[in-house]
Amino acid sequence: MNWSPAIQGLIEEFQEIESKFEKLETLMDFADELVPLPVEDWNESNLVRGCQSIAHIEVELANDEVILKSAADARMVEGLQGILTIAVNGNTPDKVLELTPDFAEEMGLLNTLTPSRSNGFRTMFDMIQNRVKELK
Amino acid sequence: MGDYMMKDVFPILSREVNGHRLVYLDNAATTQKPQVVIDAMADFYSTSNANVHRAVHTLAGEATEGYEACRITLKSMYNAPRAIITSGTTEAINLVAHAWGRANLSKGDVVVLTEMEHHSDIVPWQMLCDSIGIELRYVPVQDGELDMDAFAVSLEGASLVCVVHTSNVLGVRNPVEKVISMAKENGIRVLLDAAQAVPHETIDFLELGADFMAFSAHKMCGPTGIGALLVNEETFAEMEPFMGGGDMIETVTLEGSTYQSNEHRFEAGTPRIAEAVGWNAALNWLGEQDLSSHHKRMLSAARSVSNALKERGITVYSRLGDGDAAVVSFNHPTIHPEDFARLLDAQGIAVRTGHHCAQPLMARLGITGTIRASFYLYNDQDDADALIAGVDKVLEAMA
Repeated sequence: MNWSPAIQGLIEEFQEIESKFEKLETLMDFADELVPLPVEDWNESNLVRGCQSIAHIEVELANDEVILKSAADARMVEGLQGILTIAVNGNTPDKVLELTPDFAEEMGLLNTLTPSRSNGFRTMFDMIQNRVKELK
Repeated sequence: MGDYMMKDVFPILSREVNGHRLVYLDNAATTQKPQVVIDAMADFYSTSNANVHRAVHTLAGEATEGYEACRITLKSMYNAPRAIITSGTTEAINLVAHAWGRANLSKGDVVVLTEMEHHSDIVPWQMLCDSIGIELRYVPVQDGELDMDAFAVSLEGASLVCVVHTSNVLGVRNPVEKVISMAKENGIRVLLDAAQAVPHETIDFLELGADFMAFSAHKMCGPTGIGALLVNEETFAEMEPFMGGGDMIETVTLEGSTYQSNEHRFEAGTPRIAEAVGWNAALNWLGEQDLSSHHKRMLSAARSVSNALKERGITVYSRLGDGDAAVVSFNHPTIHPEDFARLLDAQGIAVRTGHHCAQPLMARLGITGTIRASFYLYNDQDDADALIAGVDKVLEAMA
């Protein structure tokens, strides 16, 4: 798949890192990229199920652009949410729906995580696309 | 045996994980296997594999001998009149609930449990509660220890006490001698969950005086999928078979069946033969070790970790008293346990996170989980130092 420049940049950045520790550190740095979802907006419908951490994501549309807002109690999950933010924010709904979660595989990200976190990433990705479909 | 030699006996400890020497500190979940156990199981499959009992051919005889040798070792090592081989501690406790509980308990009978129990010593009793209406009483935990005053009160009219010998979360060794004597003074049967105890101390089952004792092979250098329920003769006679099938019967007609009178009556179906051979090798190997001296060394290493964690502002839940298991359960005030453990794993250090199958204890402690480093006889101060250095690197990365 031809990735957007933003996603291609992510893939290249992570592929260059050999040490698993540094990869996890870099992942956590991406926590700064997320658009925060305030605690008062956390609810059952935006709860990420199957994740061992507490995580919430909400999707909004403004001027035909997707805005992902998210929050979690673990820095690595926030890092995943930051990466998803870079992947989807500012894109049209159609662009977001064309996206596949394979970019995380190419980044070599999922095999550095526990299976539950890896599944959590997929769950968040699916939640984003489902919500975009509803809003479109 | 010195520490260096001991690590040599466990081949897995020579591997690297994420570019670092493996520091395995998840022993309360499962222990690694010495070469002698791996060889015993491989030899069995290479030379003697057959189904046990009945058949007259040579391989069946060797397989039967190998399987039954495990039982003989268990009885001898723990001074137990009866040793029923199960799939592990969980099945052993379920066996008590079904084979003894259904035959001897009825609506309103009281079973005493503690808040420190593993789920495997809670859920079977809750299921029995749902099906036949027994009453469950839970002994509370105060400051990481059993509330013995509450325990004394809970004994009123009880039929069975189920207690964990050593906590898998805190490493706390409960005062089981006192628990058993108080229960016995009131004519109450006692089930001891010894899964975390037998890896660290050899228990004289008859002298201790419990009626049932359950444990697993894999937490004491043996294979997964096998464990035992030790039972005294009087209580064994009160048990009724609950799982029917081959091997547990004496005769079967279309009208009905009669059952074996020995432990086989509770071991329906083809048993875990290679696992029994492997466990027997582990038991014999452990029997040659000075568990007491290993325990002291492990405790010393665990205490050094505990002290270092506390110095760094980390909450440690373990007591690490002289009789306790070398288990350090801890939480950082702001770093998520899973992040912490993942960053340790990236340095080759294996620890466990979560509720450790003890959610009621977590609720009592007011937390949802911990990070747990648990030591075994191949762990030494080098491992403790590696963990402390690993923790420092995590703290630096998360600062």
